[in-house]
Amino acid sequence: MSRGLRFNVFRYNPEDGDSVPHSDTFFLDETQSMSLFIALTRIREDQDSSLQFDFCCRAGICGACAMMINGRPGLACHTLTKDLPNEITLLPLPTFKLIGDLSVDSGTWFRSTHEKLESWIHTDKIFNPQAEEERMDNALAEDIYELERCIECGCCTAGCGTVNMREDFMGAVALNRIARFMLDPRDERSEREYFEVVGTDEGIFGCMGLTGCEDVCPKHLPLQKQLGVLRRKMAWSAVKHWFRFR
Amino acid sequence: METVYTDLLCIGAGLAGERVAIQVASAGFQAICLSIVPPRRSHSAAAQGGMQAALGNCVMGKGDSADIHFEDTVRGSDWGCDQAVARLFVERAPEAVREMAFWGIPWNRVVAGKSTYFMGGKQYDKVEDRQKEGLITARAFGGIAQWRTCYTADGTGHTLLYTVDNKLVELGVTVHDRTEAVSLIHDGETCIGAVARCLKTGGLRAYLARATLIATGGYGRIYRETTNALINDGGGAIIALDTGIIPLGNPEAIQFHPTGIVPTNILVTEGCRGDGGTLLDVNEERFMLEYEPEKAELASRDVVSRWMIHHIRRGLGVKSSYGDHLWLDIRHLGPQHIKTKLREVEAICNNFLGVDPVTKLIPVRPAQHYTMAGVRTNKDGAVYGLAGLFAAGEAACWDLHGFNRLGGNSLAETVVAGKMVGEKIAEFLQGHEVHFSTAVIRDRVARDREKIDRVISGKDGHENVYDIRNAMQDELMERVGIFRNGTELQQAVDNLQGLYERAKKVGLRSNGVGANPELALAIRIRGMVKLAICTAYAALHRTESRGCHAREDFEARNDRDWLSRTLATWKEGDHLPTLNYEPATKVEELPPGLRGYGASKIIGGN
Amino acid sequence: MPAYLDLLQMLTGVVLTLFMWSHMVLVASVILGAGVMNALASFLEKTYMAQVGGPVIACTFFLHFVLAARKLPFRLEQQTSIWKLSKQLRHADTWLWLIQAFTAMIILIMGSIHMWTVLTDLPITAAKSAARIQGGYWLVFYLILLPMVELHAGIGFYRIAVKWAFVGRKERQAFKGFEKLLTAIFIFIGLVTLVRFLTLGT
Ligand SMILES: Cc1cc2nc3c(=O)[nH]c(=O)nc-3n(C[C@H](O)[C@H](O)[C@H](O)COP(=O)(O)OP(=O)(O)OC[C@H]3O[C@@H](n4cnc5c(N)ncnc54)[C@H](O)[C@@H]3O)c2cc1C
Ligand code: HEM
Ligand code: HEM
Ligand code: SF4
Ligand code: F3S
Ligand code: FES
Repeated sequence: MSRGLRFNVFRYNPEDGDSVPHSDTFFLDETQSMSLFIALTRIREDQDSSLQFDFCCRAGICGACAMMINGRPGLACHTLTKDLPNEITLLPLPTFKLIGDLSVDSGTWFRSTHEKLESWIHTDKIFNPQAEEERMDNALAEDIYELERCIECGCCTAGCGTVNMREDFMGAVALNRIARFMLDPRDERSEREYFEVVGTDEGIFGCMGLTGCEDVCPKHLPLQKQLGVLRRKMAWSAVKHWFRFR
Repeated sequence: METVYTDLLCIGAGLAGERVAIQVASAGFQAICLSIVPPRRSHSAAAQGGMQAALGNCVMGKGDSADIHFEDTVRGSDWGCDQAVARLFVERAPEAVREMAFWGIPWNRVVAGKSTYFMGGKQYDKVEDRQKEGLITARAFGGIAQWRTCYTADGTGHTLLYTVDNKLVELGVTVHDRTEAVSLIHDGETCIGAVARCLKTGGLRAYLARATLIATGGYGRIYRETTNALINDGGGAIIALDTGIIPLGNPEAIQFHPTGIVPTNILVTEGCRGDGGTLLDVNEERFMLEYEPEKAELASRDVVSRWMIHHIRRGLGVKSSYGDHLWLDIRHLGPQHIKTKLREVEAICNNFLGVDPVTKLIPVRPAQHYTMAGVRTNKDGAVYGLAGLFAAGEAACWDLHGFNRLGGNSLAETVVAGKMVGEKIAEFLQGHEVHFSTAVIRDRVARDREKIDRVISGKDGHENVYDIRNAMQDELMERVGIFRNGTELQQAVDNLQGLYERAKKVGLRSNGVGANPELALAIRIRGMVKLAICTAYAALHRTESRGCHAREDFEARNDRDWLSRTLATWKEGDHLPTLNYEPATKVEELPPGLRGYGASKIIGGN
Repeated sequence: MPAYLDLLQMLTGVVLTLFMWSHMVLVASVILGAGVMNALASFLEKTYMAQVGGPVIACTFFLHFVLAARKLPFRLEQQTSIWKLSKQLRHADTWLWLIQAFTAMIILIMGSIHMWTVLTDLPITAAKSAARIQGGYWLVFYLILLPMVELHAGIGFYRIAVKWAFVGRKERQAFKGFEKLLTAIFIFIGLVTLVRFLTLGT
């Protein structure tokens, strides 16, 4: 009693002069615990071997397979067809450059974001291979890990109305990344230095609290709360700065 | 065609590749990393459990030392490893963990005071030392004498890779992601770079480098059931083998992990058992105690996997539409523990199985997991056969793991070897000038281009590339799996040779324009089948059982004849690899003996 | 700079919301009788709160507009992309923002007209208001403006709580429910008030 599934898949190969953006329809019979990974692989192997999409870990941890699944960004590898209606529409993530069909160039975007954010530990200390490691409270380590869990899939970016309207807005993934470094005592950046990076309209003050990010994040990162806390810290930092000027 | 010059070309931007690049870039050289996917999507990110280093901070790891780590590693390898390498490695692992802490890994830390832990389903108490509060802690893993596996919840590989990539960005090292190396450029003596295909546009690029590194990870995808990512299909090993000069070390040494979930083969970490999870059979009874009274579920991977298959063969597996499997039980660890320390496991079970591990059993079965096999290097990471070429990480056979890798030793290997090989490459670059011969480069590119054109046009035939790949995977799974025997292996070699002939006749069904995925596989498929043949052929010839290589027709470990490492090369035009052997280790700090787990039939050595 | 602008945007939003609620109390006092409203109005005028407060509110109103308008999609492709996304996403909070942006434009125009009319025709008395509303055009005018304002303010109120993390993941849905209820109540009071104006003096 397997269902027949109908897939409407966005197609466009920018490298092919003959290609125009359109939608192709594929049919498949549903099988037990079928995921979109299984379905798309099957379509590629049996029906159209030029179909482009990205899977890597197929275990929901690498972030490669994010796409718009019936209108919502999500990880295709951990989306089971049984949770979807008969008709499934797949589009590439907006907000990233299209490579072809469902495949987008998130790598370039993320690399430039990391550079912009300077997403590494800033410290004047020099590593001493002989010394014991600096101590850290386990609870703090766990809090940092909680924010570090982001897999850079880009769902939050794609699901954010602000990013969709304004290309220069960093998006929740970047702001969460900064929040992670602010939490980390090993990063010696001052509040002011963080402010330089995210205390802008491209940064935290560009966020309008649409919470699309929070609601689509496949890793369930506490984005709304982190963004709120970041906004407070940055606003507070600005106010303090203002008073110092007077 | 675009040509890119650099000091070091890193093929692969996983932990190993990036760690090498960092070391070389810090020494003032220019490095470029290639990767099939954006670097942070490399499969290093999938490692959950942790990384071994003898810090001895947690109470269960008290008194741990490099020496004990060394012995565990050599025993784990079933005396197949190079003991000089193992020694170097264990000495430098603690420093590597600390350096990673310095770069920003949120390692879990010692919490002073009383806490409980599980072992084999029973609960025990432990009291952590107040003096160690806040230092890096560790958990138990299979095949180790002490709790030595440092971790960040169950996302250790993820945090490691992100932190190392942060460092890479800090140093401004260029990464060309979605770029796949398709051949090495060399003149038979020196390697001067690689030809790569851009997976965004489909175009070819030549990278010319004074030093080249292969760090492409494992190649589990030659098997049907594997815990590896889809991109782990052996790119690095293939281009090395294609030179006809470079040997693969121990191609028969393929590790199976006991707990891949059924049906998707996604790994649930060894940490599950390390933290006290148990394996149950169809009657929901523990069976490992029966086979391994001492270590039970925590014997090394090869041993546990074999007993599981053995138990299933005895008819005690759980029947399912995806074949027989066993159960992993972590329910007794409680929601608190599962939802924090084993959180990815919880997510995987819920998302991919629809099973909540807090209340339900997890269906598991051994799946291919790790390739101890790899591009053979010396202890400096220099590849046998070509000057200017290095290898590190899972792609290399450095040979720390011999015939069985210990859990947690490979993350550690990527960063320890990464740093050491990086140092050696920096030294090498200091004094090394190369001449980039245009003839050699032009010839290489022309051959790659022709191969691609032939596949696209279907000049050589119209074999379906997916059919060939699937048949190859089935062949290895059925005949070159956990238990092996001469008849089956011979059969596998024969069948794979048939597939090799077919692989030469692949023709595309699509037009091959742009970043065409069918073409990417078609370029690779011959090499993949070659790897598969090397695996089967070397396994056929090794007439003993050692580590993960278990021959039903030669059950004993044979130290008299086989304390050796296979070196497989593939000469151009040949149908089979050439097998040579070298001694497993020149330094023998720990003479061959009993592992302390697993069957113990040994044919004596010296 | 963006930090101050954002803070100011929130503060003007809060001030306007608080004002709208007190304003509603003031106007709705007519339900209790024309006398009550007149008394309140003349009290405000005697203490010059109306004469001063009126323009202050008007200024706040325009300031808020200028601040918030930074976020509005004025370019066509921005509008199409947010519209496309919202339709696809089926995500309540994104829709709420669109409502906020849409209502804002109407409020800008109608609110200005309304303030001009009232403030150039002081003092405020129940009779004058009733006369306006019974005229018909103003009734329609308020029937449109009322829900616009209440929706905009209600959503804005919720949005502040979300943006500044006064509510977290667990409370968010409940808080949204509360906000909706609040909006509904104010619209209801507003409607009753309008009815009362209609029946006043007849
Ligand atoms: C599910 C799972 C769990 C694991 N858990 C643990 C654990 O708990 N502890 C532990 O110690 N080990 C663990 N391991 C093993 C360990 O994670 C890997 O061995 C290790 O991360 C390999 O790192 P690497 O840098 O060598 O390769 P990878 O991280 O796989 O990186 C390979 C890189 O090479 C690139 N590449 C590949 N082919 C080409 C090509 N042709 N051209 C250009 N680039 C190419 C890829 O894009 C990628 O960037 C686990 C492995 C798996 C599969
Ligand atoms: C001139 C007409 C108005 C316009 C153009 C306007 C526009 C906007 C816009 C676009 C936003 C969203 C800004 C963002 O999300 O960053 C907003 C927020 C808000 N508005 Fe208005 N508005 C107007 C009048 C009012 C009035 C009269 C009130 C009070 C009743 C009000 C209360 C709010 C509140 C509370 C917010 C939330 C503030 C914040 O998010 O920081 N607005 N407004
Ligand atoms: C500056 C000060 C303001 C004053 C003195 C004021 C005064 C009044 C008065 C007297 C009424 C009764 C109806 C009438 O007389 O026409 C009224 C109604 C109303 N006003 Fe205002 N107003 C002010 C600002 C605003 C603003 C900024 C808005 C929103 C943008 C607004 C929205 C409304 C609405 C929707 C009604 C109808 C209420 C109902 O449904 O009962 N007012 N106002
Ligand atoms: S925050 Fe969540 S949605 Fe955004 S990139 Fe990270 S994991 Fe993906
Ligand atoms: S969806 Fe966008 S506007 Fe802010 S709350 Fe999330 S980043
Ligand atoms: S393929 Fe890695 S997250 Fe889906």
